[in-house]
Amino acid sequence: MLDIRDLTKQFGKGDSAVTALHQVSLSIAEGEFFTLLGPSGCGKTTLLRLIAGFEPPSGGALVLDGKDIALMPPNQRPVNTVFQSYALFPHMTVAQNVGFALEAQGRPKAEVARVVEKMLALVQMTHLRDRKSAALSGGQQQRVALARALAPQPRILLLDEPLSALDMKLRKEMQVELKRLQQETGLTFIFVTHDQEEALTMSDRIAVMNGGRLQQIASPRELYDLPENRFVASFIGESNFLMAQKLAGMIEIEGSKTALPSGFAAAYDGPVIVMIRPEHVVLGQGPSDAIRLTAQVERLVYFGTDTHIHMRLRDGTPLVARVQNALRGGAIAKVGDSVPVAFPQDALRLLPDTEA
Amino acid sequence: MAERAFNIRRLPGVATLAIGCFVILYIPMVILVGNSFNAGKVIGHWEGVSLHWYVAALHNEAFLAAAQTSLLLATLAALIATITATMAALATTRAADFRGQGAIHLIVNQPLMVPEIVLAIALLIILAQVKQATGYTGLGYLIAAHTTFCIPFAYMPIRARLEGMDLSLETAAADLYASRFYTFRRVTLPLLAPGILAGFMLAFVVSLDDVVMSDFLKSPGQETLPTYLMGELRRNLTSEIYAISSLLLLISVLIVAGSWAATRKKA
Ligand SMILES: Nc1ncnc2c1ncn2[C@@H]1O[C@H](COP(=O)(O)OP(=O)(O)O)[C@@H](O)[C@H]1O
Ligand SMILES: [Mg+2]
Repeated sequence: MLDIRDLTKQFGKGDSAVTALHQVSLSIAEGEFFTLLGPSGCGKTTLLRLIAGFEPPSGGALVLDGKDIALMPPNQRPVNTVFQSYALFPHMTVAQNVGFALEAQGRPKAEVARVVEKMLALVQMTHLRDRKSAALSGGQQQRVALARALAPQPRILLLDEPLSALDMKLRKEMQVELKRLQQETGLTFIFVTHDQEEALTMSDRIAVMNGGRLQQIASPRELYDLPENRFVASFIGESNFLMAQKLAGMIEIEGSKTALPSGFAAAYDGPVIVMIRPEHVVLGQGPSDAIRLTAQVERLVYFGTDTHIHMRLRDGTPLVARVQNALRGGAIAKVGDSVPVAFPQDALRLLPDTEA
Repeated sequence: MAERAFNIRRLPGVATLAIGCFVILYIPMVILVGNSFNAGKVIGHWEGVSLHWYVAALHNEAFLAAAQTSLLLATLAALIATITATMAALATTRAADFRGQGAIHLIVNQPLMVPEIVLAIALLIILAQVKQATGYTGLGYLIAAHTTFCIPFAYMPIRARLEGMDLSLETAAADLYASRFYTFRRVTLPLLAPGILAGFMLAFVVSLDDVVMSDFLKSPGQETLPTYLMGELRRNLTSEIYAISSLLLLISVLIVAGSWAATRKKA
């Protein structure tokens, strides 16, 4: 339904030019909860502003329902935004804010009133309908901003870090609420966040961005299990990165070998980076197809449900294992111990040996 | 010994100086207003409380004519100045950066920098020619002249208000299907209104109070309140002048208070 093709955005000219987006291409399906995830400054807001029409792109196409809308003014696009700062009109009441878009479109009064009531009920703000929007708490402003953007029934709702200004508890509540709203309305959401946990719990699909470039687009599960590069692997969850040699269908780390995991039949032989999640590192012998090494324990960090064991391999590479705490278990290991560690073959991920 | 934070109120003599300023500023005004209620004819000779001089003023045709001229002049000049200032402020804060934006700012504020008497002399020379050429001797010249020096006073509060306004509100309006004009009418203008009102009132008071420009540019027979008062001072010094001055003071105070309330309430 929304096709973004080679979208590029450059700010400024000449030497001071900043390229905020480098040829971004992605497709979003009807009814999807799609998340843009990446560190601050990676171009998430810029991409959203291009979709909303607040900025013209420097290149590329933006196709909505088969029509290129790249240069269409924002007030003609069937797309609404929930702003990071909410941007509620301070001189209007809650109800006037929610009805603004419909009035701007010149809809009949009765229809405006009906939709406003429906939207207020949807976000549970009916009791505050006549309150000035400046006199609301952060969470309430959030709800009004949502209702205001939903009222004109846009094709796509854009949400720019809508939860980042809320405290932890409210944030968790609103995450559930937002997901409920999206499922109830069946609307397409493009949601921006820099919080990987938020992205993983809420999204149908996630696009990870860094430095104005798309890194990977996948479902939360795929993103975690099969990251395509080192950036994605380290941005989402925790990871161990190990230097390895690939040779004739085998993979070797510090002299221990195993067969190449399936799906990683890269063409060339030579040095590669291998990634393994801390929860997949086994303390002990592990399965027969595992890579087996020895590591020195440096630090134990207790987390209640599990313990993080910080170790170092013989060549100095840091390694973290996450071990579930048994109900009545003693110490898993002691600082200073040399322990056997194993990497099961199917937990290994090969990453291209580029960028940090 | 712990060092104390610098506090200007602890400097020796500051309190004395402040009190001195207040005394010099307000005591003469109190005396002036007090004298306006003097029943006697001779200034400085108290003969009891009376509204005699106010009644006399309100029956004084020349005063009423001058007051009417002044109010009309101040209203029109402040109105034109406020509209111009609003447009200039919108252009310098809302439009995309354009060449000469700084120049506009400078030109708008120029009357604050140029000595008024210089501007008055320059206008006098030119307008004398225009009057001769056109034969028109009405209030237009004064309105035009007052408008020029009122613009910066109207501009300041409007621009301050615009700069303090969240730009994302206008972006949000555009996102919600509002046209540029609808956005201006429903979002920008209502939020700007207190600034516009303050600008108008400031301009009004500045015009009402002006002597130099009015005295230089008025046509024969034309008087504004301040020029009328100047003339009266030279001719016959009665307590009626105090009454008229007090009325002028009252209008100014009311307007300044009104503008203060307007900017405070919605800010
Ligand atoms: N109007 C602008 N002018 C110049 N540079 C900009 C502008 N907007 C954004 N940028 C730059 O583009 C990059 C991406 O910004 P942004 O999209 O806001 O990132 P994010 O929302 O992911 O934090 C940043 O380097 C930022 O400095
Ligand atoms: Mg952002």
